[in-house]
Amino acid sequence: MMKQFAVLQLSGCAGCEVSLLNAEAWVEQYELVYMPLVVSAYDVPEVDVLLVSGGVRTDEDLYNLRRAVRRAGQVVAVGTCAISGGVANLGDRDDVRALFMAQAERHHLPRLLPRSHPVDTVVPVDLYLPGCPPTPELFMAVLTDPTAFQAARAVCQECGRRKLRDMRPTHLSGFQRGEVLPDICLINQGYLCVGTSTRGGCRAPCPRAGHPCVGCRGPSDAFIEHESAQWLTSIQKVFVSMTDIPADELDRALRSPQLALFLFQFSDYAGGDRPPRPKEKVL
Amino acid sequence: MTTLTFPLSRIEGHAQVVIEVRDGQVLSARFQSTEFRGFEYFLQGVPAEQVPVIVPRVCGVCSTAHHVAAVKALEDAYGVTPPPLAQRIRELLLIGQIIQNQATSLFIFTLPDRLDVNSLFELVAGGDGDQRSSRLATRALQVRKVGTDLITLAGGQFIHPVKAVVGGVTSGISAQAAEAMRAEIEVALPLACELFDEYWQASLALSARLGTWGDDAPACYIASVGERCPNYEGRCTCAAGQGEKSNAGERSSCYEGGGCLRVLGTAGAESTCFEARRFREYLVYQETEYSYAGQTSYRGEVLRANSLARINMARAMGTPLADEYLARFRASFGHPAHAILLFDLARGIELVYALERALEILSAPLDGEDTDVPYAPRDGEGYGLVEAPRGPLIHHYVIEKGLIARAELIIPTVHNMRAIERALRVAAERYIKGGQVNLELERAVGRVVRAFDPCIACATH
Repeated sequence: MMKQFAVLQLSGCAGCEVSLLNAEAWVEQYELVYMPLVVSAYDVPEVDVLLVSGGVRTDEDLYNLRRAVRRAGQVVAVGTCAISGGVANLGDRDDVRALFMAQAERHHLPRLLPRSHPVDTVVPVDLYLPGCPPTPELFMAVLTDPTAFQAARAVCQECGRRKLRDMRPTHLSGFQRGEVLPDICLINQGYLCVGTSTRGGCRAPCPRAGHPCVGCRGPSDAFIEHESAQWLTSIQKVFVSMTDIPADELDRALRSPQLALFLFQFSDYAGGDRPPRPKEKVL
Repeated sequence: MTTLTFPLSRIEGHAQVVIEVRDGQVLSARFQSTEFRGFEYFLQGVPAEQVPVIVPRVCGVCSTAHHVAAVKALEDAYGVTPPPLAQRIRELLLIGQIIQNQATSLFIFTLPDRLDVNSLFELVAGGDGDQRSSRLATRALQVRKVGTDLITLAGGQFIHPVKAVVGGVTSGISAQAAEAMRAEIEVALPLACELFDEYWQASLALSARLGTWGDDAPACYIASVGERCPNYEGRCTCAAGQGEKSNAGERSSCYEGGGCLRVLGTAGAESTCFEARRFREYLVYQETEYSYAGQTSYRGEVLRANSLARINMARAMGTPLADEYLARFRASFGHPAHAILLFDLARGIELVYALERALEILSAPLDGEDTDVPYAPRDGEGYGLVEAPRGPLIHHYVIEKGLIARAELIIPTVHNMRAIERALRVAAERYIKGGQVNLELERAVGRVVRAFDPCIACATH
């Protein structure tokens, strides 16, 4: 008999589900028994594997999650929302929270929790699949044989752009600014690419297309069990060694609350109310 | 009073329908969006340059539209016009989104209603040994994949694309990659037509069984289309004069201004054209107590966006096969057509159009060097308009000291909310009679909602 799996969609954007749809080879090995986006079924039945996407944002998410995991053999948290809170965590600031909690009060609707919680703050998780969203290849790896999946340590090694010794920018360009030279490392061009410290396995679609890596796969194994500050420090070291950008400019940019918030939507693996995730459990 | 609650599936996001019945009469039919993340709030204080990376995450199904709308809004604020090559690549990106979305809506969301199964994937597996339906499902997924491949090619990444940047795009498309994409589309186009023909037949059979095509009362329609054909880039080709334009005639004049929207009145004749920045004069927005999504009307009248709006407003599609389907559609259902199950057929016409249009764009060189123009960020205000699969999407930002001071996302699904509830009421009154609830009601509720292909993640954001 075919193995069965279900996808529990909490508060998120459905990007993980859509990516899973593109990994359609699973249809030969699995029966998809529950995923509201594409299947009409009322409830999560007993399954071998439960993929959970989205963050725990409402009391309804909390209820659905607790109930569904009881019927699951293995629980996999997929995507940054489920693992570290995701883009909704950008709202985890006192000023913003006050603003929208005041606006969002509704009668007879699921109530918003004060913040978006990762799945493993509520239930035990067997495996983590980071990415915003994880690529179809990564989904297939999780569903077939996670231990056999081979990937480079960091996005940087999968990117294919050449690093040049003598091309040292003197000014930081951020994420977007005009022209991108083909085939040459984006850090050489002054872009704020964090692919050097970001977990590999996605095959680097963004830097290949000319956009700096924003770190959506989270920290690589070297940093994943440490606090987030070490991740930022490693990024800073890369820029110190590869560029002539003045130290104070780098410091201002990399230590700004806006940048930390932006990167932490994808990578706040060790912050908040839980211990770091063991790297053996992260694909 | 009896309250009937219907959970929904095969739509994007979390929503439910609640119908209240008293003394055998339908009291209300409500469409409730039950999720909320608060993008307009948490975008405040974020550096403007991060926005094109953050907002695609409003929705994994519509990420392309949000990505481009955000870039266009910043360009409007900075006074930048991207070069023609970048505009062509962005159009290709949005065309890929149309293919992907319409194929998903037609085959994954609504085809199961016509074949009486719970999911298309039941058929792919071919568990019941039905070769014909297994082949149908496989072809459907193949056509959908063309859309996702096109987005990957033009956007760098299929979900949450990255290639559109302020001033242009990060890179062109090599002749080799364009040729490979063309070859893939050449195979998919006849498959799409074949599938659409089967879908059309299945829809005729469905409406014959039901004895209705659903709510067919007149409504207003809104889209950002040109005079001649749907223009998914959101530029306007209508004659200058109705809307405020900086330079008469040229397509690019509206593009610089952020683009134009058109509304077709209930009589099917009069139309209004206005710039995105003036939407508040025409569209009335209302929050509701029972849903995290609001509703808009056109000065108080029920408004419809999405495929049927564009098809009702298009003079022609502008590509040969799509024009044949349009002629057949108009001969069968009249013009303008109002019945809601025709939204689904309109999506099929657009799927064919988008495949044909992609072939056209890919025929011209896309590997030039003029992918972007330099620009200087500045504080101010900008509007970005694109025609997303679900209708006109507007992003509006106010930038102060390089940070977003105010963000507004005007979502097409919100324009459809009143139309969805009206159609739900029509269905409820059909299937609730004399205190008896016909069991067909639950399926009817699903069909009504799916006809509008609402996106709840977008609507609530």
